[in-house]
Amino acid sequence: MSSDAIDQALAASGHLPGGLLQVLHGIADRLGHIPAEAIGRVAAALNLSRAEVHGVVSFYHDFRSEPPGRHILKLCRAEACQAMGSEALAGALERRLGCKFGETSADRAVTLEPVYCLGNCAAAPSLLLDGQLRGRLTGERLDRLVDTLVAPAEERA
Amino acid sequence: MYSVKEPDAGTPERKSSEQVTLEIDGHAVTVPAGTSVMRAAADAGVRVPKLCATESLEAFGSCRLCLVQIEGRRGYPASCTTIAEPGMKVRTQSDPLAKLRRGVMEMYISDHPLDCLTCPTNGNCELQEQAGVVGLREVRYGEGGANHFKKAEKDTSNPYFDFDPAKCIACSRCVRACEEVQGTFALTLQGRGFESKIASGNTDFKSSECVSCGACVQACPTATLVEKSIVERGQPDHSVVTTCAYCGVGCSFRAEVKGSEVVRMVPNKDGHANHGHSCVKGRFAWGYATHKDRITKPMIRSSIRDPWREVSWDEAIAYAASEFKRIQAEHGRGAVGGITSSRCTNEETYLVQKLVRAAFGNNNVDTCARVCHSPTGYGLKTTLGESAAPRTSTPSSTPTSSSSSAPTRRTPTPCSPRR
Amino acid sequence: MTHIVYVPIDATARSVGADDVAAAIAREAAARGEPVQIVRNGTRGLCWLEPLVEVVTPAGRVAYGPVDVADVASLFAADFLRGGAHPLAHGRTDDITWLKGQERLTFARVGLTDPLSLADYKEHGGLRGLRAALSAKTGSDIVEELVRSGLRGRGGAAFPAGIKWRTVAGAPGPQKYVCCNADEGDSGTFSDRMLMEGDPYVLLEGMTIAGLAVGADQGYIYLRSEYPDAERTLMAAIEAARAAGWLGRDVLGSGRAFDIELRRGAGAYICGEETAMLESLEGKRGMVRPKPPLPAISGLFGKPTVINNVITLASVPIILDRGAQFYADYGMGRSRGTLPFQLAGNIKRGGLVEKAFGLTLRELVYDYGGGTASGRPVRAVQVGGPLGPYLPESKFDVPLDYEVFAAAGGMIGHGGLVVFDDTVDMALMARYAMEFCAIESCGKCTPCRIGSTRGVEVIDRIRNNERRGPNLALLRDLCDTMTHGSLCAMGGLTPAPVLSALEHFPEDFQR
Repeated sequence: MSSDAIDQALAASGHLPGGLLQVLHGIADRLGHIPAEAIGRVAAALNLSRAEVHGVVSFYHDFRSEPPGRHILKLCRAEACQAMGSEALAGALERRLGCKFGETSADRAVTLEPVYCLGNCAAAPSLLLDGQLRGRLTGERLDRLVDTLVAPAEERA
Repeated sequence: MYSVKEPDAGTPERKSSEQVTLEIDGHAVTVPAGTSVMRAAADAGVRVPKLCATESLEAFGSCRLCLVQIEGRRGYPASCTTIAEPGMKVRTQSDPLAKLRRGVMEMYISDHPLDCLTCPTNGNCELQEQAGVVGLREVRYGEGGANHFKKAEKDTSNPYFDFDPAKCIACSRCVRACEEVQGTFALTLQGRGFESKIASGNTDFKSSECVSCGACVQACPTATLVEKSIVERGQPDHSVVTTCAYCGVGCSFRAEVKGSEVVRMVPNKDGHANHGHSCVKGRFAWGYATHKDRITKPMIRSSIRDPWREVSWDEAIAYAASEFKRIQAEHGRGAVGGITSSRCTNEETYLVQKLVRAAFGNNNVDTCARVCHSPTGYGLKTTLGESAAPRTSTPSSTPTSSSSSAPTRRTPTPCSPRR
Repeated sequence: MTHIVYVPIDATARSVGADDVAAAIAREAAARGEPVQIVRNGTRGLCWLEPLVEVVTPAGRVAYGPVDVADVASLFAADFLRGGAHPLAHGRTDDITWLKGQERLTFARVGLTDPLSLADYKEHGGLRGLRAALSAKTGSDIVEELVRSGLRGRGGAAFPAGIKWRTVAGAPGPQKYVCCNADEGDSGTFSDRMLMEGDPYVLLEGMTIAGLAVGADQGYIYLRSEYPDAERTLMAAIEAARAAGWLGRDVLGSGRAFDIELRRGAGAYICGEETAMLESLEGKRGMVRPKPPLPAISGLFGKPTVINNVITLASVPIILDRGAQFYADYGMGRSRGTLPFQLAGNIKRGGLVEKAFGLTLRELVYDYGGGTASGRPVRAVQVGGPLGPYLPESKFDVPLDYEVFAAAGGMIGHGGLVVFDDTVDMALMARYAMEFCAIESCGKCTPCRIGSTRGVEVIDRIRNNERRGPNLALLRDLCDTMTHGSLCAMGGLTPAPVLSALEHFPEDFQR
């Protein structure tokens, strides 16, 4: 499956001049992360060294080396959101999910990541949940949102 | 780095028909257009502090020690990345520059283990030297801050050199050497910001794309990449210029010696065939020099069942000549011939064919390179009209192609920058 | 008669429920048998009123907001489709004071139109700039028009756009590029995003004009990955523009070629720095390049390259359409034209205000913004993103002009304002400035790579009252090294918010 995803990403963007980021996005969009096997495959296809590809993967925050949880929650921690209390939300999220930023909750429900500006600064605080922007967060709204993410796992358990 | 210090102008030489005259600390200096301010300063006898710059690599502009002041310009441009312009007035020393350089060095040292006395490059470390040059007297950041040395793990997987990230200043000289000098691209910076570190891809050195040419080790200004021989035996005390005996390229080396023992072979910057670069063989595989199996005196035996007998050169040559004559007398003129090794130079091969044709009187001459390099020869002849094996680094302006099965493996040094 | 209802598709509106509101309106209309056509427009920029629903009435568009799904039934009950009175009603949109005083040149269409409707675009003046450019005799005529307009780069550095184009136009070589820097990463800024989502064609038009001016046939938009909505809109817009024949081999039948490719960034603030952006566009680590060479001479793939941010390029069509003088008549000093200011953070009425240069922070924060959202006193405003200084109220009357504002210790940058109330701990904000730099530094130069991490540590010691005096001195020295020693503006300007916090709010470092 990951092999197919790599092939598809290469077929879609491998021809673009300097298209390594687009190829890696193609893989990450399909798999959620960049598996180790992709490094050599992409390097060979794009006539790059494995070290070059590794260097690029490790530079950009969008390219995870490990699979994320079922949901990816990126809370904005930049100034405008801080001015509206995002740091309190950040603390609450870490406690609720039992993991730090950059980690995945133990039940694999949510990968919690920081993000620095979502361009929603007039409706702060904001987060990006699986690519969907949410603004004007409050502790209560955030709690309700997290309920919808972790509930299925709790039911399964 | 070179243990016996040689001048380093910091950025590569530029050639131009146009000359530029500028002033550095009051000294007028004229350099080819395109030359960096740093190199112009070196020409004027002014040494600008530097760490990420070295003349074998293109300017990078990362260490920020080489900042200067230029009349009429704002701020403190880096002398390595600033190109000399006519009439420029450059100051390389001033109070604000001294403060800035100390500030930068204080940052470097705040992330460096202070174990100089037990460090393999003690006394031969650019970081140590530059800390002295800029006059760093204290590091106020204290202990307990984030650092790269407390938990760093050494990678000793390469058979010839060690990688100790604890000592790394992330100047990227190794990465750039791998790209610009060797052309292998086996190294990268990994991560970013404070977390940036040198990596041989997502694996250790041994499993990486590294071909152990040693260009990275030579480029490293600290003890991050250092030859195992230096770790084991310490720094050399002098060096001797010699020519690598491995192949016919004729790479110039400086054999770095401690007493009478070689501790490191460093490709010579002045070598016309290799311009400071080399392959793994000449750089690291010099153990044969003192190997017990090495033949150091001529020996002869009259039959394969007889033991070898050490003789003088005169006797050996006289014996060989008499035997050639005897064989020709008994079996005819065509019964002898000569084959040269691909380790021989063109000149040596020429002399052997001369011997065979003029003295033996036949055409029984060959070189083993004809076999292993026949595709190279075909390709070169077809492309350039000449099929001699490459003997010097191809100038960067010459487009070359080769159909050899593996030119970069057979004679890696001249071929590597052109890959 | 079918009622036309506008519900913004802008990401801010969607982030607070615009999609649900649109669906609820459609459902309620169907249930009531009211024929309704819902148009998803860009945002008007009155973000505090989002979702701002507008209905078309004979008197013009009438606004309601912020509309929650729960309000939809009562809106219908109040006959909002015919402009009926309702507690959420604001009257005619054009009459709303907040909007009325604005000078919308670059954002002229944003909020009015369906962003992807080419018909809407043309009806509202779209493509006139490009047609004017095509009828201009030479590329250099276009360049000189831009020079005369006085337009300066809106991404932060404020370099005269026309001069940059002139350099690219004069650089030798058959292959040149136009790169749009859409890596708008500064907190408190969202004008690029709003424009790309609300009027994508104007950006494509501006880039095409740039291509014609300098002789480039290929453009790239480097869009940050944090903007998925903008990505979808731009992709669709590029496709539509190609299909309509104004991108591609034969721009509007002129025989001139220009095409645009969208490239997604991958989560790196530093890639908003133009040379790091070029590296990223080339598929590499986003490491800053030393300058010179200038990208205008040796840019993308080593070719002469125009790099401008979104707002700069989107301001080009109106200059070509209405003429340089029209644009230059706005503004003050050397700051000509308008700037879309963005009001963000702890502010009662946040959103986008496009005005000529010369107004003051006080007007923006109080007259437009209405003070803080919390109702507490304003303590500091950070202008120009995370590298901008924090300004106290004493600086609020300085006119927003690049030079005058800089002389007063401010930085207009990308025009974003983040407002903080009196609960803010400025030492913590100074610490954050260093922390942000530590997270986002490319790691190439030493002052930024190591200095930012040390900055966090030193501020922590100051806040913990560990050797406060010497550590304050050390912090200033560190800032000096970063300011003067860094390779690019990221390391060079990170000290600005730190030093401004020290200068204007020293008490926060003494707690």
